[in-house]
Amino acid sequence: MSLSDLMMVLPIAFTLVWALVLLLIDLWLPRERQGILALLTALGLAVALGLDLAQSGRSGSAFRDMVVLDNFAVFLNALYLISGLIALALGYDYLKRMEMERGEFYALLLFSIAGMMLLTQANHLILVFLALEFLSIPLYVLAGFARPRLESEEAALKYFLLGAFSSAFVLYGIALVFGATANASLTGVIEAVRSGSAEVGFLTAGAVMLLVGFGFKVAAVPFHEWAPDVYQGSPTPVTGFMAVATKAAGFAVLMRIFLNLFPGLATSLTPIFWGIAALTMIVGNLLALAQSNIKRLLAYSSIANAGYLLMAFVPYGNAQVAGQAISSMLFYLLAYGLTTFGAWAVVVALEQAEGRGLTLEDYAGLGPKYPWLGVTMLIFMLSLTGVPLTLGFWGKFFLFRTAVAAGYVDLAIIGLLTSVISAYYYLRIVVIMYMRAGEPRVRRDGWLNLVAIGTAAAVVLLSVVPVQMLELTARAVLHLP
Amino acid sequence: MLVIILSGFIFAVFIPWLYRRFGARSGWLFALLPLGWLFYLAGQAPLVLGQGQAIEEHIPWVPSLGVELAFRLDGLGMLFALLVTGIGALVIIYGGGYLSGHPYQGRFFLLITLFMVAMLGVVLSDHLLLLFVFWELTSITSFLLIGFEHQRYGARAAAWQALLVTAGGGLALLAGLVLLSQVAGSGLISVINQNGAAIRSSSLYTAALLLILIGAFTKSAQFPFHFWLPNAMVAPTPVSAYLHSATMVKAGVFLLARLTPALAGTSLWQALVSSVGFMTLLVGALLALGQRDLKRLLAYTTVGALGTMTFLLGLGGDLAIKAAVVYILAHAFYKGALFLVAGAVDHSTGTRDIERLGNLASILPWVTLAALLAGISMAGLPPALGFLAKELFFESLMESTWPHYLSLGGAILAGAITFVVAALVAFKPFWGRTQDVPHPPHPVSVEFWLGPVILSGLGLVVGIMPALATPLIQGAVQSILQSSLKVKLALWHGITPVLGFSLLTLGLGGLGWAFYRRLWQGGEIWRKLAPWGPARLYEVGLNGLRRFAAWQTRVLQNGYLRFYVMTIVLTTVLLTGFTLLSRLAWLGVGGWGDIRFYEFVVVVLMIAAAVVIPRLRSRLATVATMGMIGYGLVLIYLIYSAPDLAMVQFAIETLTVILFVLAVYRLPKFTRLTPSPTRFLDLLVAIGGGMLMTALVLIVTARPLVPHISDYFAQNSLLLANGRNVVNVILVDFRGLDTLGEITVLALAGIGVYALVRLTLGRLMVYFEGLEEEEEAEHERAL
Repeated sequence: MSLSDLMMVLPIAFTLVWALVLLLIDLWLPRERQGILALLTALGLAVALGLDLAQSGRSGSAFRDMVVLDNFAVFLNALYLISGLIALALGYDYLKRMEMERGEFYALLLFSIAGMMLLTQANHLILVFLALEFLSIPLYVLAGFARPRLESEEAALKYFLLGAFSSAFVLYGIALVFGATANASLTGVIEAVRSGSAEVGFLTAGAVMLLVGFGFKVAAVPFHEWAPDVYQGSPTPVTGFMAVATKAAGFAVLMRIFLNLFPGLATSLTPIFWGIAALTMIVGNLLALAQSNIKRLLAYSSIANAGYLLMAFVPYGNAQVAGQAISSMLFYLLAYGLTTFGAWAVVVALEQAEGRGLTLEDYAGLGPKYPWLGVTMLIFMLSLTGVPLTLGFWGKFFLFRTAVAAGYVDLAIIGLLTSVISAYYYLRIVVIMYMRAGEPRVRRDGWLNLVAIGTAAAVVLLSVVPVQMLELTARAVLHLP
Repeated sequence: MLVIILSGFIFAVFIPWLYRRFGARSGWLFALLPLGWLFYLAGQAPLVLGQGQAIEEHIPWVPSLGVELAFRLDGLGMLFALLVTGIGALVIIYGGGYLSGHPYQGRFFLLITLFMVAMLGVVLSDHLLLLFVFWELTSITSFLLIGFEHQRYGARAAAWQALLVTAGGGLALLAGLVLLSQVAGSGLISVINQNGAAIRSSSLYTAALLLILIGAFTKSAQFPFHFWLPNAMVAPTPVSAYLHSATMVKAGVFLLARLTPALAGTSLWQALVSSVGFMTLLVGALLALGQRDLKRLLAYTTVGALGTMTFLLGLGGDLAIKAAVVYILAHAFYKGALFLVAGAVDHSTGTRDIERLGNLASILPWVTLAALLAGISMAGLPPALGFLAKELFFESLMESTWPHYLSLGGAILAGAITFVVAALVAFKPFWGRTQDVPHPPHPVSVEFWLGPVILSGLGLVVGIMPALATPLIQGAVQSILQSSLKVKLALWHGITPVLGFSLLTLGLGGLGWAFYRRLWQGGEIWRKLAPWGPARLYEVGLNGLRRFAAWQTRVLQNGYLRFYVMTIVLTTVLLTGFTLLSRLAWLGVGGWGDIRFYEFVVVVLMIAAAVVIPRLRSRLATVATMGMIGYGLVLIYLIYSAPDLAMVQFAIETLTVILFVLAVYRLPKFTRLTPSPTRFLDLLVAIGGGMLMTALVLIVTARPLVPHISDYFAQNSLLLANGRNVVNVILVDFRGLDTLGEITVLALAGIGVYALVRLTLGRLMVYFEGLEEEEEAEHERAL
């Protein structure tokens, strides 16, 4: 290990150390002054973000090729860190008023983010597995953070059991890939595949197993069933964090591993991806129709969005569109992340103790009574539907363009049709907000308003410069060993 | 033109503020903006219409994708832009009076201005994507305007319906436009229109055409998507006049006209567009029978008129296109005016029921004048523009390849019904006996009659002097046909068959008017047929979708963890099993070794335990039996001389059983075992999962692995680490860091346990005491 090795993982190392420091500080901090921890966490995240951005443009590998650094990782790391900051802002007041402000929250959040960054930079399958667990275990705890609310405990337990279950599949997959190539380092596996010494059957079975495990993390159908239950039970800021950052991390590892290791298996894997993408779009959108709880509705919406993302990933083996696929997926992750976090901010603002204030009916009259909050929610719903003049539109547009360019017109049409269905449930919220009389109760909190208005402004204003955004994501290329 | 769009959006931002400042009178102020645009556009007319030059503006937006803010003002765009701005100004003035005192009047001004900008965007865009953006904006503003009176359930439902139909169609349109630009290699409409032949011969032509047509048909309320338009009449009347008659619903027709050079001319286009148009023309006319509401009557005839335009565009050819353009102009004049008239009547009397209205001429003189002028045009009487449009329509039918008895018969029938409706709407409320109305009619202010009088007057003036509008019509026709066709219009064609058809229509119409009550009773039949109409299909479809979603939620998302696990296992088995089976060739597993007696016994015991477990009703027994499987595994490890593994497994197994027993012995027995069919399914899943794992293990073990690392340790422990005990060397040297890590983990865990014990011991005692008390209480209750 040398200093240059450490430089490659500086944001991760810093986040970890900072989390440990926070744990220590927490020991000496009186209960009523936990707010300081939140600010310190934000400070740490901001510093890590700065360290991460300072790395942009650099690439290379470290720790004997165990981790790599590329613009892809820099981009996604920034996404996780910003997600962490937003989750903090959402939780600042929420944790207090829901009486669950405990110091561990902040350390766990940082641990999970460190895990995500490690997952994105991992260049070794064992490290991939470790990082996957590292990001998940704090999340299991965070999901149950609203203890002793039964819902939250159930969410944590379900998430943990199913997560452990799917991790086993990842491990199986890794074992099979190792069996096929006698290598667990991505570089080594690529070498083995290139030289033709890999056993294709093993490799395929391993790839499928990995797909199952990662499919769980991104909540793709049919591995999605945990998502609505867990999203509903978890504290809302955690849910928002899971919906954005965990999903992004899942896609990050999916992209890195499949694009690097298995482009040769595209002929046998593409039909599987096709089916999963189509199912995810259809089931996610259809199930969202029937929801009356906003958290569940957004959970299904996040499933459906995973479907759109997967749609662009289907032609991953096609070298001509793979680059386009990555940049459009990263663009979508950004657009989706901003939009979703904004929507979750509104949800947090309306949520009352004991899980009240979460049905769609509770949004009646929001538009006229709280114009700012109403308009921001309107923008988020339009963006999720994919209406022009929002970032969501461009996101979908780029994804569809990738699918069409790769010749998957059928998938694009499924995507469009399911988007029509999604218009129904997204706009239903708008209808309820603006066209039904009601007395919504809203928690006024500066940080929440900042998140809601900030993300809404970003969603609208960034949509004016989609080119620059796309160029940004296009620069976030994968480092190919 | 970007200036127009931008100024509109910027102006819209200030509307709420201006409205607060100037109140209801601000309608006059807000009308200045579209009037300004109107004059600006008219200033371009000599260039665009006189010299046939299109004005273009290109501002790069997404250059890497070839998306730019491209605007183009040609003859067709000019016609629509003038209509949008002109009628827009009148409608805004009208809204100032009509919605005076309404709590949401400010919102009306804001939304209608936004809509106007969006509609101008649609007609001025030269890029498909830009056009689509504005297209969806019109759908959204239309949705908000229909739901204007959102306290009423009907308004919400209608707004909803209109949005789902038009925005849904809009997405189909997007797909079609993307395909079209793929085929043409450009998103610029002017470029696409020059490559018509290449597009029509492309293999994607059919798909692109169908998708685009769905978009256009839903927007323009063509059969079978026509039902949303009459329902949209819950919107305030100025909205109906503007969006649902004069402009927005014509967007579909506009799109068809716009893409005519690229898409039209094939037999598919002709068959589809003209037959859908013809159906709509008939359906709109027939459904008007039996309606008693002024606005619904006008709405159904609007559907019919839109059908006529689509029909003409479908027929194609110089004459039909000319007829379509004249029809668009005539319809915008008379229908816009009549809607505004209906609003004035409604405002004055409080009802729109034609049976209850009468003798309003003396109270509403100007409105009556407007109604009469517009009515003449709608009925197709000379010398109004409507007459001219109808003549041209008949003429192009004569030329078409459609069987004449069918097309002309339909056209004459629809024309006759339109005549009756025109009489009912424009004549009946103003003459005859005074009828009972909710409140005594009051005169209306200038805002109410200014718009209708101007519009209907224009219809008459242009009818008498067609030369006034000829450049406009010629410009539009030329840009649709992309030719330099000269248009000449005249009211009097001489004595031709067409004149005969016109007279026949008028005669039939007059007859219908005389017996309109009987005719209208016949129209009652639609009410009975409604359950089989496409509106019903929409309703059933929507409800079905909702119910399907609810059912799916119950099935797929039942909250049971075991079900989720089963889904994952099943999917994995299917996916991996599929891969394994598709490569059966390498499933070659090496020969079996000798099976020893002990192994046999142990395995049989384990299998027996596995079979027994699901049938047990006691949790304790289940745990014990599971332990049997674990200990069997221990034995197998021992037999294969792996004592270290055996020890670990033994320890874990024991610990698990103890933990289970501790947790489980308080729980009741399994009382409800799942029914047999479910259990059978579970069995299948379990067998599948087990087989998959077995296969994987067999395959993996059959493969020679990398050389053992143990050799390396054995050889190098003395050499590198000076240690004779290999295990010791591994622990403290080769894997020293691992050991350090493990020690740290153990230490941390120890601290954690210590903390937990100290913290919770006290609370735990309390908890157990409480539990005991509860139990005692329960016991006493049982006694």
